[in-house]
Amino acid sequence: MRILLAEDDAMLGDGLRAGLRQAGFQVDWVRDGVAAERELASGVYAAGVLDLGLPLKDGLDVLKDLRARKIATPILVLTARDAVPDRVVGLDTGADDYVVKPVDLLELSARLRSLVRRSLGQVHDTLCSGAVVMDAAARSVTYKGEAVTLSTREFDLLHALMRNVGRVLSREQLEQQMYSWGYEVESNTIEVHIHHLRKKLGTDLIHTVRGVGYTVQRELPAA
Amino acid sequence: MSGPRQASLQSRLLLLVLGFATAVSLGAAVITWRDAQHEIDELLDGHLGQAAALLMVHAKGDYDDVFDIPVLQKFASQVAFQVYVDGQLSTRSSNAGTQPMVTAQDGFSTVRREDGDLWRVVVMREMKPEVTVLVAEKIESRQSILWAVMRSLLQPLLLALPLFGLALWWSVRKGLAPIRALRGALEQRAPHATEPVSLQGMPRELEPLVQTLNGLLARIHRMVEGERRFTADAAHELRTPIAAIRMQAQVALGAGDDEAERTHALRTTLAGCDRATRLVDQLLTLARLEAAPATQARPVDLSAVVRRVAAELTHTALARGQELVLLADGPCMVAADELLLGVLVRNLMDNAVRYSPEGARIQVLVRAEPGVAVLQVEDSGAGMTEEAITHLGERFFRVLGNEQPGSGLGWSIVRRLLSVFGAQAQIGRSADLGGLSVTVRWPGP
Repeated sequence: MRILLAEDDAMLGDGLRAGLRQAGFQVDWVRDGVAAERELASGVYAAGVLDLGLPLKDGLDVLKDLRARKIATPILVLTARDAVPDRVVGLDTGADDYVVKPVDLLELSARLRSLVRRSLGQVHDTLCSGAVVMDAAARSVTYKGEAVTLSTREFDLLHALMRNVGRVLSREQLEQQMYSWGYEVESNTIEVHIHHLRKKLGTDLIHTVRGVGYTVQRELPAA
Repeated sequence: MSGPRQASLQSRLLLLVLGFATAVSLGAAVITWRDAQHEIDELLDGHLGQAAALLMVHAKGDYDDVFDIPVLQKFASQVAFQVYVDGQLSTRSSNAGTQPMVTAQDGFSTVRREDGDLWRVVVMREMKPEVTVLVAEKIESRQSILWAVMRSLLQPLLLALPLFGLALWWSVRKGLAPIRALRGALEQRAPHATEPVSLQGMPRELEPLVQTLNGLLARIHRMVEGERRFTADAAHELRTPIAAIRMQAQVALGAGDDEAERTHALRTTLAGCDRATRLVDQLLTLARLEAAPATQARPVDLSAVVRRVAAELTHTALARGQELVLLADGPCMVAADELLLGVLVRNLMDNAVRYSPEGARIQVLVRAEPGVAVLQVEDSGAGMTEEAITHLGERFFRVLGNEQPGSGLGWSIVRRLLSVFGAQAQIGRSADLGGLSVTVRWPGP
C-alpha cells in the first residue's frame, strides 16, 4: 500500500518513513502543505498521514481544500495539538482519524490499514478470493489452507489486486500503488510478478484483461 | 493589605456628618447661652437699679424702719435690700442682715454672702442727707431662667439628632448602593474571568476606578493568554522530538538484519534526545527570565564575555568547518547582569554557528562608540528574508526548509533579555559577509 506522509520535522519524518516501510507500506514523504495537497490529489495513495503544523499551507487547510475537491483519500491526522476542540475541528474538517504525537508505530500501521479497509468497504483485514485468503495485517497468504511464501513485491501486487477486487487495474496503476518515489520500475516487472503469483496460487486467481490490465474476481467459478 | 482594617465608608460618612451636626448644635447652644445670660443680666440689673432708686426716694422721705413690702414677700428669699442713712442702717429687708451686703463702691457687683449663695448687688449713694441703698438678688434665680431657656432650646435638638442620624444612615446607604452593586458584580464573576466590568449605570465617581480595574483585567487577560499559548506551543514543540525519538527507537527495534537502518535510527534517537534537552533548557531559561525579570546590573566587560562564549563554541564551529572570528580591541563595559549577558551572547553566537552552513565564516565584533557599546554578530550564511525577520522572536517560529532542529525559542530569549538590558537589536543583511547580521547596542554604562 502506498502512503503519503506529510511531516515538516526532519527527524520525525525520517523515523515515520522508515517505520511505515518496516510495516510494509510504500511511503512518500513531503514536507510542506502545498506539496501534500498536490500529491494527495493525484489519487495514487491508499491513504495519507498529515501533520497539521505544516509550512506554506496549514494541514487543516489542505484537508479542507481536498475535501472541497471531492477527493476522498483516507487521511489520518498526526499532530501535537491534543486539545479536544482541535480534535473535533480536525475530524469535522474531513480527517478520517486523529492521532496525537507521539504515536506507536504498530498502532499507526493498524490505524492506516483500518482506514484503507473502511474506505474500500471491507469489514475486516482478511481478503478472500476462491481458495486464496490474505491477512493484510500479518502480511500472510494461504492457498487451499496452506501457507504460501510471497516476496514483498508479490504480496503488495496481490494486495493491490485483492483490495480492488472486481476492478481492472492497469500496469501503471499497479506500479503507482506498489512503488514509492525513487524506484526505477522495469517495463516487464509487473508481468514477472504476476507470473510468479500464478505459479504459487494457481492460474485462476488473476485474470488478464488484454490491453487494459489485470483483475481479481470477487468469486471464482467453482474449481 | 496591612494595617488595621479600615472602617466602612458608610460608618465613616455617618460618624463624620453626625459629629459635625452635633458640634454645630453645641456651638449654637453655647452662643445662645452667652447671649441669653447677657440679656437676662442686663434686664434684671435694670430692675435692681430701679428698685434701688425707689428705695432711695423712700429713704429721703424720712421713713426709718424695717419694713415689709407685701409684694416683695413673694421674692423674700430671692431679693434683699439695705438702706443706710448717715452711715446708720435705717431700713432693711428681713433677709438682708445688719452688716452691709457689699463694701464696694457704687454700681453693680457679684458677691458671695454669708449664707453661701452668690448675689448680684447694686449700691446707690446720695448726699444731703447721706443715704446709701443696697439691693441684692440671688444669682441662682437668674440661672434658673437661663436653664429654662437652654432646656427649650436643647430638648428638641436632642430629640432631632437620632432622627437625623437615622435619615442620614438611610441616605448614605442609598447613595453607596452602586458600590455595593459593583462589589456584588465582582463577587459573582468566575475566578478566572478576565472580561471587563460593564460601565453601564456606573456613577461618575466610580467610572475611573472601574476603568482602572478593567485595564488591570485586560493586562491579566493578556498575560494569561500568553501563558496559555506558550504552554500549548511548548507542549506541541516538545511532543514532536519525543515522537521522533519514539519512532526512531521503534524503527531500530524493527530493523532486523538491516544494520545500516538500525545504526541510522539509533543515531537519530540520540540526536533527538539532544534536541529535546536543548529545547527543555531553552524553555527553562525563558520561564526563569519571565519569572524574575529584575536583575542586578553591574559594569561587565562585554569583550570578556564574548571571548568566553567564543571559546565554548569553537569546538562546534570547527566540527562544522566554520571560521569563527572575534574582533574586539580592549575592554568594552556595559551595565548588565553577567550571567544573563552570557545567555544573550551565547544565543546570538550559537544561532550564527547553528544556522550557517558548513565552512561558513562567522564574525563577532565588539566596539565601544561614544555612549554606546556595540555587539555585532555576522555570518556568511543564507541570511533571512524581510518577512522571516519580522517573524523572528515569535515563539516557535522557524525558517522554512531549515534542516537544523530548533524551536525559535532562542530568539524569544534574546528579545526578552534585550528588554531586560534596555538594549536595542537590529537585524539585517551583513555588508561584509552577505549573511545574517545582528547588531545589539547598549546605552553607555
